[in-house]
Amino acid sequence: MNHFAASASALRVARTDDRVDVNPREVLADRVEQLYAQLPLGIAGTVLVGVIAATELSGGRYAEIVAGWGAFVFFVSAARLALYLKYRRSANRATEAEQWLRWLGIGALANGALWGFAAAVFFPSQADEHQVFLALLLTGAMSGGIPMYAASWPMYATYAGGIAAPFTYVLANFGNPLFSEIALLVPAFYAVSVAIAWRLNQVFSSGYRLRHAYQRLAAENAELNRRLQRQLAELDDARAQVEASGRKLALFAQRSPIAVLELDPHGRIREINPAAELLFGYAPADLVGAEMKALVVPEHRTEFDVQWRQLFETREPMSRQRLHNLRRDGIGIVCEWTVTPLVNPAGDTVAVIAQGRDITQELEAEQMKKEFTSTLSHELRTPLTSILGALQLVNSGVMGHPGKDIQELTTVAERNAQRLLDLINDILDIEKIESGKLTLVREPLALDEVLREALVLNRAFGDRYGVRFALRGDPPRVEVNADRKRLLQVMTNLLSNAAKFSPEGGTVEVSADCVGGRVRIGVHDRGPGVPESFRSRMFSRFAQAESALTRQKGGTGLGLAICKRLVEMMDGSIGFAEREGGGSTFYFDLPALRPPAVLS
Amino acid sequence: MPARPLQRILYVEDEEDIQRIARLSLERIGKFTVEVVGDPLRVTDAILAFGPDLVLLDWMMPGMDGPTLFRQLQADERTKRIPVVFLTAKASGPELAELKQLGAAGTLSKPFAPMELPEQLRAIWAALPE
Repeated sequence: MNHFAASASALRVARTDDRVDVNPREVLADRVEQLYAQLPLGIAGTVLVGVIAATELSGGRYAEIVAGWGAFVFFVSAARLALYLKYRRSANRATEAEQWLRWLGIGALANGALWGFAAAVFFPSQADEHQVFLALLLTGAMSGGIPMYAASWPMYATYAGGIAAPFTYVLANFGNPLFSEIALLVPAFYAVSVAIAWRLNQVFSSGYRLRHAYQRLAAENAELNRRLQRQLAELDDARAQVEASGRKLALFAQRSPIAVLELDPHGRIREINPAAELLFGYAPADLVGAEMKALVVPEHRTEFDVQWRQLFETREPMSRQRLHNLRRDGIGIVCEWTVTPLVNPAGDTVAVIAQGRDITQELEAEQMKKEFTSTLSHELRTPLTSILGALQLVNSGVMGHPGKDIQELTTVAERNAQRLLDLINDILDIEKIESGKLTLVREPLALDEVLREALVLNRAFGDRYGVRFALRGDPPRVEVNADRKRLLQVMTNLLSNAAKFSPEGGTVEVSADCVGGRVRIGVHDRGPGVPESFRSRMFSRFAQAESALTRQKGGTGLGLAICKRLVEMMDGSIGFAEREGGGSTFYFDLPALRPPAVLS
Repeated sequence: MPARPLQRILYVEDEEDIQRIARLSLERIGKFTVEVVGDPLRVTDAILAFGPDLVLLDWMMPGMDGPTLFRQLQADERTKRIPVVFLTAKASGPELAELKQLGAAGTLSKPFAPMELPEQLRAIWAALPE
């Protein structure tokens, strides 16, 4: 019962296992291996039983035949042993399994024939007790073959057939009714034995298939495990990196001089850093859970609401947001905030990071600077108006002619008062430009007219240095979108620089050329040029070349910096080039409003 | 352009030194008849008494600044037709534009060139409507 249950279970497993892709050649190799593993036991059994049988039967008149049969048993067993040894030594057992199975089949047939010969020759010639011995021996040989050859039922059928066929023939022709009945039972016994071998064969095959499936699954499992281990290692690395980044970020927030607050989507404070504690004067326990709005001066809370709504509508970071905040001690401060919403993949804002700093003092400083600038503008210009005005009136001669020495001194005084005024104007200009407070009044301007006007306006300055300003050819009739006053200021700066550094009696040329959609205005002098070391910083503030000539000529060192910024505000660019034949060319490019062809 | 030439100028300026320079410039070079007032609160009376063709006005003065005084003159039926020119050290682009917007006849910046001031005023006068 148990045997059948086990077989049925094995078959069920085998059927389930059919779905697993198993290589039939590997299963065959396993079966052949099983058959060869049984072979030594089979050989030993054959030899042992053969010796017993030969001993038992050698006493009769067929002693020579028995001896011959014994030799045959020995020969077959030796051949099978040789086959076994050759198989064991073979390196190609798995790949040549079919060939090894055939050889084993031949051996099984020979073995069966051995016992069949004994049945055919010895059974009729023996006395009753030896016939019983022989019958027992033959059925034993048939039964014993089942476990030996169960891995291949056709092999067993061949082997057992070699015994059963001659035995049945002998029994049937013996002339004894009992033997005739036994002759009927032998084929039945044979059929049952083959059926059992067939069943066992199937069980073995299923077992081997299962083993291979298991091996494959185990290999796949091992591979999966290896991959899993690799991924786990990678995950560990990633986690370590995230933790390190987290620690770094936490450190940044802790040490940052900027106040950092994490807010929930309702504007309640989740976490703050030490700088935020210092900014507001609260301990974290007092602030965590409180509304950010409570830190805003009540009159400015509407502004806060507007900014908060905007943040949630755009979900974009907002920077430079000014807010009137309230410290714990009741002092109002102005803070500048950068606010960043943290949005999850579903598009919901899950938190807001607010980074802010107190700019109250900066604003006060800015206001002071503004007042200082205004004071500088008015309080310095007012006395200068008197000084310059008085000196100009004296030097013009309308007040009568002073002596030559006095005239020289008042001329020096006027020139230096003018320098002081230029310096004040330049400082005010650069301050206005850099604080973004200089607004240009841009309009389409005919460039040639502006250039001619610049030459007229600066003629007197050129005369002072004995330098003449001249246009190089006819300027193109092109318009530029520029601020007239500021464009003239740029030209005045470049022309006055050129005049200061030109040799007396020289000519400073002004050119204008259209290149693509731009027009390049150049001011060309024959001065000593710009030292190489000064070129990289000559458009910076308070930049002056280190030379006796520069000191002698004076200047604020702001002129070119102002020119650069003004030109850039008019969408242009400024530059310098060495002039062929000696001297310098300062140029600036402006976008041409309309191409000259259209204008002409 | 007004039919008659520019002759009488009232200059409103609190700084005495600048008053003196401007007066010399306008009288000696420009050959104008000049009245100078240092107190902005006395300007309306001075206009009514002197009858200027044009008022030259400083921006920053104690008591009342130039733009406020200008608005008062504009609001006064007796003085609103007299053209006003600002002479100011506080001459940034937007501020000058604002003055023009208010109806100022012109703006000149300090420090001014005394040799050129009369001609600059005549040019502004010439650009005025009849």
